[in-house]
Amino acid sequence: MDAFYASVEQRDDPALRGRPVVVAWRGARSVVCAASYEARKFGVHSAMPAVRAERLCPQAIFVPPDFSRYKAVSRQIRAIFARHTDLIEPLSLDEAYLDVTVTKTGLPSATATAEAIRAAIREETQLTASAGVAPNKFLAKIASDWRKPDGLFVVRPAQVEAFLTPLPVGRLPGVGKVMEARLAELGIATVGDLRALGMIELERRFGRWGHRLHELSRGFDEHPVQPDRPSLQISSEDTLEQDVPLEQLQPHVVRLAGKTWAAYQRESDRVARTIVLKLKTSDFRTLTRSLTPRVLPASASELAELAWGLHLRVDLPAGTRYRLVGVGLAGLVDRDNHVAQSELFDMAVAPS
Amino acid sequence: MQFSIQREALLKPLQQVVGVVERRQTLPVLANLLVKVADGKLTLTGTDLEVEMVASTPAEQLADGETTIPARKLFDIVRALPDGARIDLKLNGERAALNAGRSRFTLATLPSSEFPTIEEIELVEKVSLPEEVLRDLMESTAFAMANQDVRYYLNGMLLDLQEHSLRCVATDGHRLALKETQLDSQVSTRRQIIIPRKGVNELVGLLETGDGQVELEFGRNHLRVRRGDVVFTSKLIDGRFPDYEAVIPLGADKQANVDREVLRGALQRAAILSNEKYRGVKLEFSPSRLRIMAHNPEQEEAVEEVEAETPVSDLSVGFNVGYLLDALAALHGEKVRLNLRDAQSSCLVQENDNDQSRHVIMPLRL
Repeated sequence: MDAFYASVEQRDDPALRGRPVVVAWRGARSVVCAASYEARKFGVHSAMPAVRAERLCPQAIFVPPDFSRYKAVSRQIRAIFARHTDLIEPLSLDEAYLDVTVTKTGLPSATATAEAIRAAIREETQLTASAGVAPNKFLAKIASDWRKPDGLFVVRPAQVEAFLTPLPVGRLPGVGKVMEARLAELGIATVGDLRALGMIELERRFGRWGHRLHELSRGFDEHPVQPDRPSLQISSEDTLEQDVPLEQLQPHVVRLAGKTWAAYQRESDRVARTIVLKLKTSDFRTLTRSLTPRVLPASASELAELAWGLHLRVDLPAGTRYRLVGVGLAGLVDRDNHVAQSELFDMAVAPS
Repeated sequence: MQFSIQREALLKPLQQVVGVVERRQTLPVLANLLVKVADGKLTLTGTDLEVEMVASTPAEQLADGETTIPARKLFDIVRALPDGARIDLKLNGERAALNAGRSRFTLATLPSSEFPTIEEIELVEKVSLPEEVLRDLMESTAFAMANQDVRYYLNGMLLDLQEHSLRCVATDGHRLALKETQLDSQVSTRRQIIIPRKGVNELVGLLETGDGQVELEFGRNHLRVRRGDVVFTSKLIDGRFPDYEAVIPLGADKQANVDREVLRGALQRAAILSNEKYRGVKLEFSPSRLRIMAHNPEQEEAVEEVEAETPVSDLSVGFNVGYLLDALAALHGEKVRLNLRDAQSSCLVQENDNDQSRHVIMPLRL
């Protein structure tokens, strides 16, 4: 969906149409959830601090998010997808991969299916969506951004190489700022440069990840569309009112552990194996520390204790302040596959 | 410094000390052996600062003196020389010259003053026992030691010296192995020491079967074992071993006597189809019969039935089959006795006619 939350707001309030709209909570610490295309012209984008958005675009109208309405639209568009295929892998409320190799509607091509879905979305939700059609997931994702908003872009199998060659490497999934910089040192800026380096050299430098990079550079991606992929992690996180030093995070960890534990209790047939502490520094560096204890926590307070224990493994300078903290349970496995070895001694398992 | 010796006479003490030397050292001199000629014999010492092994042997054409020589290289050279070769080694300034027949080697040395040795151990207790007995005690329990556990005091073996007995105990927190022997001499106060894992492995490697005696010297922070021409010294783990006696079940009133080899064979076969990660098997007891069952994620299944002298019925307990097999391998005797209470409680495995050797295994909730 194009500028999803902002578009829903503009649809529901005619006064917002044609004007820069920023969806964000009020408050000095909030971040932008979505920005309308009118606001994006001023350089506003999602995940930016709301304060900065306000400075860039003082005339923008700030609207607090209303997830119940967004979720309702999300259900509508999923119902539209489901008319065409059952192989739907949702990425978020407004994004999904669809495998349309075989469709229920029998439309002649993937392109025709994409057009039919876009038309139905426009008709039934009065919102616009963009689609990418390609032989695999990673290409479809890049293609979907190509003609935004309200666009469709098709990468046919024969066009894959030509499409990828000029792309900056940062467009490949998994290539972030750090990887981009490392590749730049090798004189690699585009996917074409990456492909020219060759598999052997990439593997020599980056190991298994190098192998994957080589595959991506040639447009290979074997990952299938996975419908109903269960969430792999249950977590709660909060951006704090003020940036605080590490030692002061404990009450937040305790509170978030309680929330995470409550959500975990609703998981009746899965067991978590790993405890995760997530932190974001005042300069937006994200770090996580995790622990897979032999004995799983049995209560919110035990979870809090183990999660808080992980703060000892944070090795940033003493003066570092943190803006966000999260507590998660990961490595969820089916309870049936989980075998528990009993302990001889009743001893607390302290993280080392 | 100088000596002359036949290859085989040098190879044995070299083998005894070279195992202690770590492949990666914190200090360069720890890669070397201390080679010393004094009092009419040749003495070799290897150390990793935690465990020290000293071996001596008679040699000829002796000239007193000491130096340190790269351990691995010296060992590899001596091992590769032909059988029966006569080896002459002489210190020339900062180099050691090793000659054997038509082979000549010049090795770098480091001054012996840099080599750390453990001299005084502040002796607090001393016992003597047959070498074969100590070896059996340690071999029958060492497998249960933890490896790199955060509970560092489990990464070793407890020697529990009591008035008339010596016990070796090891546990990884899931199972525990204990073996004890009566002592001829009487000990004044009970002492518990923990030998680190590496020390245990080196000591077991040193001990042989035979009717020799070994001296165990309990120091304040060390254990020293004297065996003939070899002296083993290990630092102790500074920590409290858990109260192991509390986890040896007393109320395990459900007993089954089973032929040890028959049970072992059945478990080994069932293990093939147990889950590779947890290695779970289920033991189901009914009068005169023990049924062992295993299945894996591929839904393959093994069922074994074993005759058992038992009145127990309606009891089903899961275990890691590896723990059961380890315990059975450490026991001797024709029959073993399993003592159980319920599916949540530990199982005590021992020989059916004595309790010198005891193995406690916690269940696996399957």
